[in-house]
Amino acid sequence: MSDENERKKKSSGYDPSRRKFLKGVGVAGAGAALADHLLAPDTGADTPKLNAAGDPVSGSVNIALDVNGQKRNVTVEPRTTLLSAMRDRLEPAVTGPKLVCDMGTCGACTVIMDGKLVYSCLVLAIDAVGKKLTTVEGLGSPENMNEVQKAFVEHDALMCGFCTPGFVTTISAYLKKNSNPTLDEVREACKGNFCRCGTYPRVFEAALAAAKATVRG
Amino acid sequence: MPQQPQAQPSPTAPKKKRIRVPRVVNGVETMVEIEVDDVAGPGWGPNDKHTLLNHRLTRVDGPLKVTGAAQYTYDVRLPKMLYGRILRCPHAHARLKKFDSSKASAMPGVKAVIQTPLTEFRFAGSPVAAVAAITPEIAQDAARAIVVEYEILSHVVRAEDAIKPDAPGVLPRDPQKPGENNVRLKQQQGDAQKVEAALAGCDAVVEAEYRTQRVHHACLETHGMVVDYSGGDSATIYATTQGTFTIPADAAEALGLPQSAVTATVQHMGGGFGSKFGIGVEGMLACKLSKETKTPVKLMLTRYDEFVMAGNRSGSWQKIKAGAKKDGTLVALQATQYRLGGVGQGSQAGQPYAVYSAGETYREVYALHTNEDSSIAMRAPGHPQTSFAMDSLMDELAYKLGMDPVAFRKKNMRDVVYHRQLDRGAREIGWEKRNATPGGGAGPRKRGMGCAAGTWGGGGNNQCKVDVTVSRDGAVLVAVGTQDLGTGTRTYTRAIVAEELGLQMKDVVEQIGNSKLGGANASGGSTTAASLSPSVKDAAIKARLALAEKLAPLLGNAKPEEITFSGGNVTGGGKSLGWKQACAGLPAAGVTAHGEWRQDLQSRGVHGVCFAEVEVDVETGKVRPIKMLQVQDGGLPLNRLTMESQINGGMIQALGMVLWETRVMDSQLGLQLNPGFTDYKLPGSLEMPELVPLIDDDDKREVVIGIAEAAIIPALGALANAVFNACGVRVRELPITPDKILMGLMSERRNA
Repeated sequence: MSDENERKKKSSGYDPSRRKFLKGVGVAGAGAALADHLLAPDTGADTPKLNAAGDPVSGSVNIALDVNGQKRNVTVEPRTTLLSAMRDRLEPAVTGPKLVCDMGTCGACTVIMDGKLVYSCLVLAIDAVGKKLTTVEGLGSPENMNEVQKAFVEHDALMCGFCTPGFVTTISAYLKKNSNPTLDEVREACKGNFCRCGTYPRVFEAALAAAKATVRG
Repeated sequence: MPQQPQAQPSPTAPKKKRIRVPRVVNGVETMVEIEVDDVAGPGWGPNDKHTLLNHRLTRVDGPLKVTGAAQYTYDVRLPKMLYGRILRCPHAHARLKKFDSSKASAMPGVKAVIQTPLTEFRFAGSPVAAVAAITPEIAQDAARAIVVEYEILSHVVRAEDAIKPDAPGVLPRDPQKPGENNVRLKQQQGDAQKVEAALAGCDAVVEAEYRTQRVHHACLETHGMVVDYSGGDSATIYATTQGTFTIPADAAEALGLPQSAVTATVQHMGGGFGSKFGIGVEGMLACKLSKETKTPVKLMLTRYDEFVMAGNRSGSWQKIKAGAKKDGTLVALQATQYRLGGVGQGSQAGQPYAVYSAGETYREVYALHTNEDSSIAMRAPGHPQTSFAMDSLMDELAYKLGMDPVAFRKKNMRDVVYHRQLDRGAREIGWEKRNATPGGGAGPRKRGMGCAAGTWGGGGNNQCKVDVTVSRDGAVLVAVGTQDLGTGTRTYTRAIVAEELGLQMKDVVEQIGNSKLGGANASGGSTTAASLSPSVKDAAIKARLALAEKLAPLLGNAKPEEITFSGGNVTGGGKSLGWKQACAGLPAAGVTAHGEWRQDLQSRGVHGVCFAEVEVDVETGKVRPIKMLQVQDGGLPLNRLTMESQINGGMIQALGMVLWETRVMDSQLGLQLNPGFTDYKLPGSLEMPELVPLIDDDDKREVVIGIAEAAIIPALGALANAVFNACGVRVRELPITPDKILMGLMSERRNA
């Protein structure tokens, strides 16, 4: 790794480790090698040249994602988002997180990555390697819902339900940090999630009820 | 046990009668006359005597939706499925000069490129071509690689510009009316001279212009479909639609298949709000791509596409003059109404808005075209626009006359249901505590209250065909092809059957969202509940009677109509059987009953009033909603929990329209500047006021009526009037943004 990259890593505290994982998971083939070089253009002589027309260069890499406790192998392009990897490439797909705004505004694609909430439409799939990912499916099942999911059903905190996985994920993660929130704290916690049907008041109710149930439980 | 042959209850055909019912075409409600059986069977019974209906029932699909297990169209992925992508025209008005897709077609992974039949594009976002490729990324690259040359034509997007006689023509001229350019007369009603005369004798006259902006449906699941077709003789369409049965015919035509070979399915859908009827341009392109590649194709609009080509709510520009007497009687109103529907017709209810009587009236309604995507039906098409203007005007007249705005409204409402609702709303919000003088009170943050009223039809029609099957193991299935938009259709369908058979919710399973099941109407105009629930009830009653006939021999040969079903037991002839025990006596095929619509189980006509309290910061112009409450009737509430959620949703969508949402256009370029959720301001969690949905249980009608559209109407006027009561500034153009408040305060100061 170059000095420059080393500095970046230190100053931001952020280490995408893309190159490391690519080596780690033992990728092979032309596409993977190409992607590898694009991700780490400092590696020297065999860096591919963009063609004269400036056409986009793409390729595929095989990676492994840790989704809801399962190691899942998937082939992605370097530009493939985590959301698209889960929805369009994993087999079988993980479709709880929804594609809605595709620009990190609405929260429908929210997942928990190493304990932190992220918009999976803003995370590259290759950046999620080695991270522990939890989607709404990992929080509970229809037969065995977590307290937040139960409270959402009980308080009718959903209508069309397309934003619901995002809200459920956000609130489930938030209640782990703050088990006894106020109404204002709940509002603040889900300000990154949009609903169009108008479930907000009942989402707040459900979150507060889930907090109570969790404390009791 | 030997089965007794039973005589049919009535061998003679029932008498027929003709009635008028709403029918929805592309989301727009029209009244049609139909013939129905003139029968009145068992009714719903008193609203307060139900065991499941009119209770708080959690959604039966709730557990699927909160765990990510519910499969939406957007979630469908089929083997070998291709991804479709649309290329849109980037100009507000242009003609196609050259189209070259050779580069795109040659890209690895690209399977098809097709052109739309359009050669002239009348708004930015108009679809030009579509591609299908093996991944979403390659489809995106391919759409970009298509080379299109346009001849750019002059355009117009501002209503003030489009109205000028020499403005660039948006649409081809009508040969019958060559003098009409962008302004086209649609309706003229009343006597203008009589209105002028009446206005002359008024004690207070208000003349004002009101405008409502174009807002987006912003369905979280974008438009689109998955076409499961691999070149065989049949296809399945996964559609995100408000009308399961609006899909097969057009899809079959696009695929070149007979309609019977195409099945449409919609299990869950992520919002429609009036925008999802038929296959749409995107569906047509998806079918054509699938037909060409003989491979399944998924084509969902991107969020950008959704903003620029999937429709919006018609804007409005309304010039109104109205007058009242000192005693508060409205005596005359004239209106010039422009429907701002872009390249489409737009929509706007006529003035005066139907909840008020206005004496002598005259109106002219025009479509005023601009080079913008066509407006399409959106929750209560045309009503929020008209209601906002009318209820603002009513408020202006009330203040001018020095009357209490509630008292002034009641004076001009013939329907006393509104009187009752206004009294309740006023009591609930503490109307007497409103700002005594608009803009009065100390400090920069001023609070105010306002109110308004709304109406809607919500009646049903005879399109729903329902089957209820009870099996020998006690399983109960209710099947109909209808769709659940998130309104709770599945839940009440199940509840009606469970209640009729004396069972619990868990004992019944519903099957919906498939065009191979019994027919159903499209969910537009709030017609679903009043169309579907009578058919479900009819099927459930018939299933109960059929069961009773079969079970009579087990119950001391009791008369079928005297056998009761309650608490999971079947009782008659002095005996009682548990449900499973009873069903074990059925023939192998169980019992199936077919239900048809009964007009006596539903009605139309709902009333609602909204009261709002807001806080306006007169230093920044920022409006903060504090509280909104809505009193809404709707006959028999099928499910109180979901009905309240609908009312909340209506209030919140109205709130967005009043304070934040708008389609921002660059008039020079003719482009939308905010086609994404970053810049299009949807209401979020931090903006939520306290919301109080109140079901009007004084409505004793034992019939089902739809309320989804009604829920959005009165909150607009209520909020705008609350802003005036708080700060003394009358903002007549939505959204009410801080700049408009500050400009209003400035001009007030100048006038003072």
